[in-house]
Amino acid sequence: MNLRTQTFLLPWLDVLAIASWGILLLKYWLNGKLGLLIHPDYFWLVTLTALVMLTICGLQVRELRRRRSCASRVAHLTLFPPGLSSSILLLTALLGLVFTPHIFTSQIALQRGVTDTVAMTRAQPQAFRSSRPPEERTLVDWVRMLNVYPEPDEYTGQKVNVQGFVIHPPELPPNLLMLSRFVITCCAADAYPVGLPVKLDQTSKAYPSDSWLEVQGQMITENLAGKRQLTIQASSIRQITEPKNPYDY
Amino acid sequence: MDQKLNNAFTLFLSLLVEAMPFLLLGVLFSGVLLLFIDERRLIAKLPKNPMLGALVGSFIGFLFPVCECGNVPVARRLLMQGVSAPVAIGFLLAAPTINPIVIWATWTAFRDQPEIVVLRIVFSLIIATIVGWMFSVQTNLRPLLQPAIALAIKQPEPEGRVLARRESEGSELLRSGTFLLGSQPGQMLRLDASVLQATLVATPPAQSQIKRLSLLLENTVQELRELGAVLIVGSAIAAAIQVLVPREVILNLGAGPVSSVAAMMLLSGLVSICSTVDSFFALSFASMFTSGSLLAFLVFGPMIDLKGVGLLLSIFKPRAVIYLFVVAAQLTFLLTLFINLYVS
Repeated sequence: MNLRTQTFLLPWLDVLAIASWGILLLKYWLNGKLGLLIHPDYFWLVTLTALVMLTICGLQVRELRRRRSCASRVAHLTLFPPGLSSSILLLTALLGLVFTPHIFTSQIALQRGVTDTVAMTRAQPQAFRSSRPPEERTLVDWVRMLNVYPEPDEYTGQKVNVQGFVIHPPELPPNLLMLSRFVITCCAADAYPVGLPVKLDQTSKAYPSDSWLEVQGQMITENLAGKRQLTIQASSIRQITEPKNPYDY
Repeated sequence: MDQKLNNAFTLFLSLLVEAMPFLLLGVLFSGVLLLFIDERRLIAKLPKNPMLGALVGSFIGFLFPVCECGNVPVARRLLMQGVSAPVAIGFLLAAPTINPIVIWATWTAFRDQPEIVVLRIVFSLIIATIVGWMFSVQTNLRPLLQPAIALAIKQPEPEGRVLARRESEGSELLRSGTFLLGSQPGQMLRLDASVLQATLVATPPAQSQIKRLSLLLENTVQELRELGAVLIVGSAIAAAIQVLVPREVILNLGAGPVSSVAAMMLLSGLVSICSTVDSFFALSFASMFTSGSLLAFLVFGPMIDLKGVGLLLSIFKPRAVIYLFVVAAQLTFLLTLFINLYVS
């Protein structure tokens, strides 16, 4: 790379790379995809970052244009060869602009271990809403409750009306499926699945993995893999579309 | 496969989107504070006792919130201005962890496991103080330093000349910072935070405001680009491991009290992710690895990693870098293993 490219083109590449990230973050904020990636508590932080990045780019553009007349000023030799860092940044931002992220699938849930249903929530039940009538509790409310009062028989006969996506853990009998939600505390990186088994009258294969269901029924206790396990006996199952915000908090 | 790619991509993007604000904050904050803190007055107030000095040095990160890429130039400048070895080493090892931005980022990531946040700080302090204290035994630090630094300590030159000295030793590929192209072809002057500051101080007041802003801007753009690229590579590695490595392998590795710590320390050394954002990287392993191993990652990574070694070699001779590495690694291993075996 000759001196000319280094001193004139690379600074512009830097600006372009940072600007592309500002635009990407703004885009996620505007089209609501931010919720797929991070906890809502940090939306403002990301939006602010996007604005600051664009401001920095604006200032730097002014600076570069002002400086164009003066001869070579600063070139960078850094950890990566010149131009590589900005190319990595730019390329990743373009990837993000072209491809839309999707919510995790059941594959991640199985990878992270949805199987041990009860021992699974890490989050303390900060908003513990036991006063809610059973049919208004979400899947996550149920699992949190179960963490505090683990005796499944306590809940027998209570009405259930929950939404979630389907996982087929290999160790479940064929007439059961796992209805799950991902819970996040910071970003999708710490998404962990919580779920309850659902007992069907037919084979669970009728409901493919990752499809979203609304399940109504009542609580029973099943013996699964030698463990007594709170289970939903389904009375009606409805296919639903993926909710706008698929995570729970 | 399609699903795996989708999952990896979502994980990758979520790490980046959550980490970017903290990276920007770290870069801006350290750039601005470099302009406002008067080091000479700070140095005059430092304690002479080696143990205390190392402890105080570990806390200087609160004034210079730098990650492990920014702390080396600052430590080098401190050494050249006559700060004692324990203080400089304490700063070098602890500053990337013990500063407000990193603590906030760690808290963001591990809100539901506050013990990780607290123990990260405590362990970093313990290790930095012990290593700094050990280095105080070597009263004459010069044999361990690169000749240029040792020389600078012995007979202080006028500031501008020392800092903008010509780089002639070693490969420059692994040296971070800005380089000014000299008037002769092939001649390079190294510019780092210290030169930035020296230039700022030396700038005549008439045009100083614009020039200061312009240098600060230059510094911000560069660091953002450089550290952003490392962050992207690190996040890609984290996402790939999560999705591609079979669950049994990760679980076996992650559940063992010893194997998990060893694996995470190795990972932290290789990935070289910036300390302002490494807690998000660790978070993606939180469900599968022991708490001790997550701590090992968070404590050891900021002290020594592949990227940092290149920078450390700009201050110390290889022998000293090996000492630092071995002692810090052993202490991290012991402390976090203790957590795995006796606490969690």
